[in-house]
Amino acid sequence: MPTDGAAKRPAADDQPLAELRAILLGPDRAAWESMRQRLDNPSRRAEDVASVLAEAVRLRSDAKLRRALQPLLEEALQLSVQSNPRMLADALFPIFGKAIRKAITAELDGMLQSLSHTLEQRFSWRSLRWRWESIRTGKPYAEIVLLRSLLYRVEQVFLIHRKTGLLLQHAATDAAETKDPEMVSGMLTAIQDFVRDSVSVAEGENLETVRMGDIGMVLTYGPDAILSGFVRGVAPRNLSRVFQDTLDTIEREKAEALHSFTGETSEFDSCRPRLEACLAGQGKPGERKATSRMAGALLFGLPALVIIALAGWWIYSAAVERRWSNFAHRLSSEPGIVLTSFEKRGGTHYLAGLRDPLAADPAALLYAEGLPSDKVTFHFEEYHSLQPSFAAQRRLVELKEELQRRAFRFPTGSSAIPPEQRFLLDDVAAQILSLIKAASALGRTIQIEVRGNHDPAGTEQLNSMLARSRAQNVEAALISLGVPAARLAAVPEDKERETCAAVKEEERLFCRSASFRVIGVP
Amino acid sequence: MLKKKICMVGQFGVGKTSLVRRFVDSIFDERYLTTIGVKIDRKDVSVDGKSLTLMLWDLAGEDDLAQLNVSHLRGASGYILVADGCRASTLEKAAELQQRITQTLGPIPFVLVVNKADLRDQWEVQSSQVAQYGWPTFETSAKAGSGVEEMFLGLAAILIRSHAASEAPGQ
Repeated sequence: MPTDGAAKRPAADDQPLAELRAILLGPDRAAWESMRQRLDNPSRRAEDVASVLAEAVRLRSDAKLRRALQPLLEEALQLSVQSNPRMLADALFPIFGKAIRKAITAELDGMLQSLSHTLEQRFSWRSLRWRWESIRTGKPYAEIVLLRSLLYRVEQVFLIHRKTGLLLQHAATDAAETKDPEMVSGMLTAIQDFVRDSVSVAEGENLETVRMGDIGMVLTYGPDAILSGFVRGVAPRNLSRVFQDTLDTIEREKAEALHSFTGETSEFDSCRPRLEACLAGQGKPGERKATSRMAGALLFGLPALVIIALAGWWIYSAAVERRWSNFAHRLSSEPGIVLTSFEKRGGTHYLAGLRDPLAADPAALLYAEGLPSDKVTFHFEEYHSLQPSFAAQRRLVELKEELQRRAFRFPTGSSAIPPEQRFLLDDVAAQILSLIKAASALGRTIQIEVRGNHDPAGTEQLNSMLARSRAQNVEAALISLGVPAARLAAVPEDKERETCAAVKEEERLFCRSASFRVIGVP
Repeated sequence: MLKKKICMVGQFGVGKTSLVRRFVDSIFDERYLTTIGVKIDRKDVSVDGKSLTLMLWDLAGEDDLAQLNVSHLRGASGYILVADGCRASTLEKAAELQQRITQTLGPIPFVLVVNKADLRDQWEVQSSQVAQYGWPTFETSAKAGSGVEEMFLGLAAILIRSHAASEAPGQ
């Protein structure tokens, strides 16, 4: 730099020095001057920084730079939103629009799932229990359904590095059947690649659920990690949200470690409690199946049982009615019975008509059919049927009664048929022969007892001898007149008859007799 | 715990799966290879007192019909190029794959394995051909088991050194 002394020197003296200075320092001075001007000129300095800024940022892409830039970027973003919110909205719309649509779809899916599940439970025994619980606790029924219906268990949770497929952290319940989680996470990543390569999916679309039988997988994705879990049973839809929240937290807390991950997983040990918190569940999934089966049995089994019972009852009633109908038909076809009415009132059957006294007894027929006698009322008017069998039967009865009214009278102490009585023999013999013939026509075999009687006078021994002798004499006389001997039997004394206690002689005449009794005709 | 993803690549039939089978006890069926194109196994090794978990991605072999699925290579820390000593063309295929992988993943550690050492008298691949690439090379026999353990441990050592270098201060 020139000093005041130097300035006072004569210009001639300075000339050589100035020339020397120009020779030695000229180019540098020009460069310094140019540099000074660039440094003093903000616009030129900005141009210089701009030309190297991108390369400088690339070279320092570490956490220090990100931390330094973070407040600036946040402030800039805030100012941008305040000044022109539409610009940011337009820029974010493709991302948020898609995310919102996805969230709404997920929510609707969840609602549908809950609705279908609720409908499934609505008519079950369990739903009645829940209604009672709702009344008892004062909680809304829907809340009780949500609390009790979704049974699931998250058995394993995997935190996987998205780029490498390496397992960062794993948590499992004691009951979980755990194969090598390292290999499972690797295969899971490979399967996602396989699915993505096999079908055309849009950018950002990922495999979100996998299901096989009772086991399902929930998969959620972050920029650098995947959180997935094996779920036994029916997982609620919001389980994905729980997983996503957990993953978002981990991504936020471990952003640096995830971004620069080179294989060291110990840094993610601190994430384990978060994974364990995802091992949530409700009830025992196996129970759900059993209860579901019970609900199914109640839902479908009970009406089926009712239908079967009704069908059974209907078939049984029809069979019983058929038996009653058959009985009425049989009754109407029975000789000597005319059925004029057959109907059912309440639980009782009414049968009415005409009945010949010789016809079969309806009550006996009912018993033979095995039908209950307390479920029937008979009302039959008596009539005489013109059926030949009934006429013959009635004739047989008349002949029987006529014969049983006949008797031979004997004088005191005698057993010989008096001459004035002998004319009766032909008549009685003819009656007996008619009776035998009528009985044969009806397929009956009859027997006729000839009974001897005596009056009270005399000794018992004599009387007994007289009674026997009188019966034998009549029997012999009838046989002699052509009555088959096999059909006659002389009975010495009619023990069934009351002792003849007549006092007057004309009365005693009736005691000294031989009478007839027909066996084999009703 | 340090873990690394390793991919086994090579032409169809060079013995990749046999090498892995020699090295690990698998829990997955080998049919996975023909269905989804990859089978994953795990092997914990220790080199110079340092533990390393190798996640071995056995990729379906490339042939005239099937191409290597590069999406399975994503995130790999290293790979094993396998060639069949009895078929010179497999070495050329290995070299071609090495170029494609380098284009996809960048320069990451790998080793070349010339397999079927038990059939050495039938080899078409000459030592000079292998040497021209200048790659770390192992001769193995998946059938006899020779050189297999050494090969995997050799790659593990390379990976550990590479990891240590990347974690060193100033990087």
